Amino acid sequence: MIVDTLVQLLGFSAEDPAFWMPLVFMGLLFCIIVAAVVLDGFDIGVGCLTLFAPPSLRPRMMSLLGPWRDANEFWLFLGLGVFVAAFPNAWGAIMGQLYLPLCLLALGVLLRSVSFEFRLRAPAGMQQRWIIGFGLGSLATAVAHGLLLARLVVAYRSGDGYLVFGVFVAICCLAAYCLLGAAWLIMREQGALRLKAIFWGRRAVRWTAAGAVAVSVVLAFANTGVFLKWSDGPQWTMVAVLWFVLLLCFVTIELSLQRMVTHSDRATLLPFLATLLTFLVVLGGMFYSFFPYLVLDDITIWDAAASVDSLRLILAACVVALPVALIFNIWVYWRMFGLSRAPEPPELKRIDA
Amino acid sequence: MNTTVWLSQVQFLTSLGFLLLFLLLELGLAWVLLLFKAANHLAQDNTWVLAYRFWVRVYALAAILALAAAVPVLIQIGSLWPGLLDRIGDVAGPLLAGAILTTFIVKSCFMGAMLFGQRGLSDAAHTAVVLMVALGTSLAVFWAVALLSWMQTPAGVGFLNGKYFVINWYEVVLNPSVGWIFLLLVAASGLTVAFVMLGVIARRASSLPADGSAVHVFRTGAVIGLAAVLVYAVAITGYGKMVADHQPAKAAATAAYWHGGSQPDLALFGWPDERRAQTSGLIAWSHAGGKWLGRDETGRLLGLDHFSGMHPPVALTFWSFRLTLAVALAMVAAACGALWCMRRKYIEHGDMPPAWRIFFSSLTFLGWVAGVAVLCHVLAGLAPFVVNHTVTFLEVVGSTAPVHLLIGIVAHLMVYVLLMAGFIHLLRHGVQYGVVPVARRRGRA
Repeated sequence: MIVDTLVQLLGFSAEDPAFWMPLVFMGLLFCIIVAAVVLDGFDIGVGCLTLFAPPSLRPRMMSLLGPWRDANEFWLFLGLGVFVAAFPNAWGAIMGQLYLPLCLLALGVLLRSVSFEFRLRAPAGMQQRWIIGFGLGSLATAVAHGLLLARLVVAYRSGDGYLVFGVFVAICCLAAYCLLGAAWLIMREQGALRLKAIFWGRRAVRWTAAGAVAVSVVLAFANTGVFLKWSDGPQWTMVAVLWFVLLLCFVTIELSLQRMVTHSDRATLLPFLATLLTFLVVLGGMFYSFFPYLVLDDITIWDAAASVDSLRLILAACVVALPVALIFNIWVYWRMFGLSRAPEPPELKRIDA
Repeated sequence: MNTTVWLSQVQFLTSLGFLLLFLLLELGLAWVLLLFKAANHLAQDNTWVLAYRFWVRVYALAAILALAAAVPVLIQIGSLWPGLLDRIGDVAGPLLAGAILTTFIVKSCFMGAMLFGQRGLSDAAHTAVVLMVALGTSLAVFWAVALLSWMQTPAGVGFLNGKYFVINWYEVVLNPSVGWIFLLLVAASGLTVAFVMLGVIARRASSLPADGSAVHVFRTGAVIGLAAVLVYAVAITGYGKMVADHQPAKAAATAAYWHGGSQPDLALFGWPDERRAQTSGLIAWSHAGGKWLGRDETGRLLGLDHFSGMHPPVALTFWSFRLTLAVALAMVAAACGALWCMRRKYIEHGDMPPAWRIFFSSLTFLGWVAGVAVLCHVLAGLAPFVVNHTVTFLEVVGSTAPVHLLIGIVAHLMVYVLLMAGFIHLLRHGVQYGVVPVARRRGRA
């Protein structure tokens, strides 16, 4: 139904590649962003938390991240790659507005990727320093995500009020990643680290909720188009359901963390799943609000898309790369839930001289 | 000159330069590691394995730095030059996507197995994995070089309403300069890795007794160094000819040839003064420069005055090229010195004279100087254009305030210096005390 409306609006036919190819790439980009936020998110969160953790717990937190590093490093590349290749005409319009937050993002990602690997190979005396480097890099990445989100939501308008909003969203975004990281740690590890993580999670959950509400409200009230889209027609039930889900998630997280302190440590998976659901709802809501625009009320995905020939070429490349990406990621991530299992000692071959 | 443009250029060149350093090392080491693996299959003893074990750790450091340093570059293509992809998106998009996807496939399918999965693979299978890493890295670099060289010598495209569109992808990828620039990069990466190998072995000779691998590594370094410097000479010659044919402004700036049609001397040394349009302190080889300059249809030589101000910064272009040549000469001498040390069997006997040790360890990063000088000449020589003769930097630059750019540059420099110091510290530590194996197991921690 939505497709028909769009087809009529744009004057394409539904089979026209110029119509459906940008949609495919938009879907792909959205999937990559979701995967990046969810899968790389706990990595960033745990990284930020190392700054608050006592030095004795830090190495364990780092080693828990180890198995996912190689895959987590790549989400940003894939996202940027699909964006630049499929939507070159919006790339500059968006990236050009975001110089400072993007600087912070680039440096954060650079610092955390390198610090993690260097720590593994550094002499014992230097390892603590590289852990701090990883923590600072993660902090910069989380804050940069918040600043970028704030700029995106207010459609790049500038002014003192927007600056305050940006700082607020950055803090909330940091809290959200900390919550995700803490919830993941609660599920992965027992003992002192779990207790610490419960404590961190309880600190972070309220800020996360405040951020989710602030972003949604500002997105709707700062952009008339978005407000109309949500309030127009029969969408009220949808809005109510989404808010209810968000509320339910936050209450679940809050209560289950509370329960872990006082009663038991069963159902350790619950806070993580609830946090993931929150992230998905907020991202899904944002995606729906923006669609079909990349820059609100200005550039649609069809304006931004590369020529059909280029898109066809990239799609062919993606068809080759996608199965590899899927298999690799499933292979890597399939043990990310539940308690961490210790590695088995390697089988040593006996050599008879 | 526009401050924003200037600061943006400085920042982009810094980021690209930092990426290039570790890309050269990664690319060179990937092939050298393959060589070690292959030699191990032929040899009877385990000395090549020792060499592989040490250098694969260095490779891992270089690989993560190269990958991570690509993030700022990729982001800055958008944040510093917002207008660029509007104009060349049709060409640049697929090439960038190609580089990213190739890197992704190499990293996900092969690099993990190479670094962490050796125990689970047979020796032959592991060698095959190393081969795939070397091939894949080269291919990824090739896509990036194809884009860079297409911007030097655009081919296979049409230009309509300020936008490029592709007519023929073969011509785009195999544009006139891609071969020479790729060859320059390959030679520079050979030089980088050769001199790092020589420097490390010379340094280690002062602290550790040489094991069997040191002889192999030193010999490999000397041979690769000599071969790479020859390839480098060929590539520079070819590149110079190509520049004369396709980029006359760059050729004129490189030669500091101010007035078209005048006697074409080959300027060897001097300081080009752009305001007075002459070279002070010039030492030149008279009449020898004509081959390296562009000509118009009538065969008249094109001087810098032909381009009505739209020519590259003369001093930078002139000196980056002289630096390239000077480094090449120094490296010929050093590579010959390494051959001499091999002949005297200094490493075998463990009695390398201190002078030679200091000589080689001080030249450890000479290859990087060559790489950066080439990058400077390739990029600075293209200015004020981003795409030769059509799109200028001024057209594509963003509206970011100079203060913000300055903050960005300082922040980037701080992180780059920190990471470079970390890399050198780890390398030195490895040279002095040996390297530690690192394990990583899927899904378990």
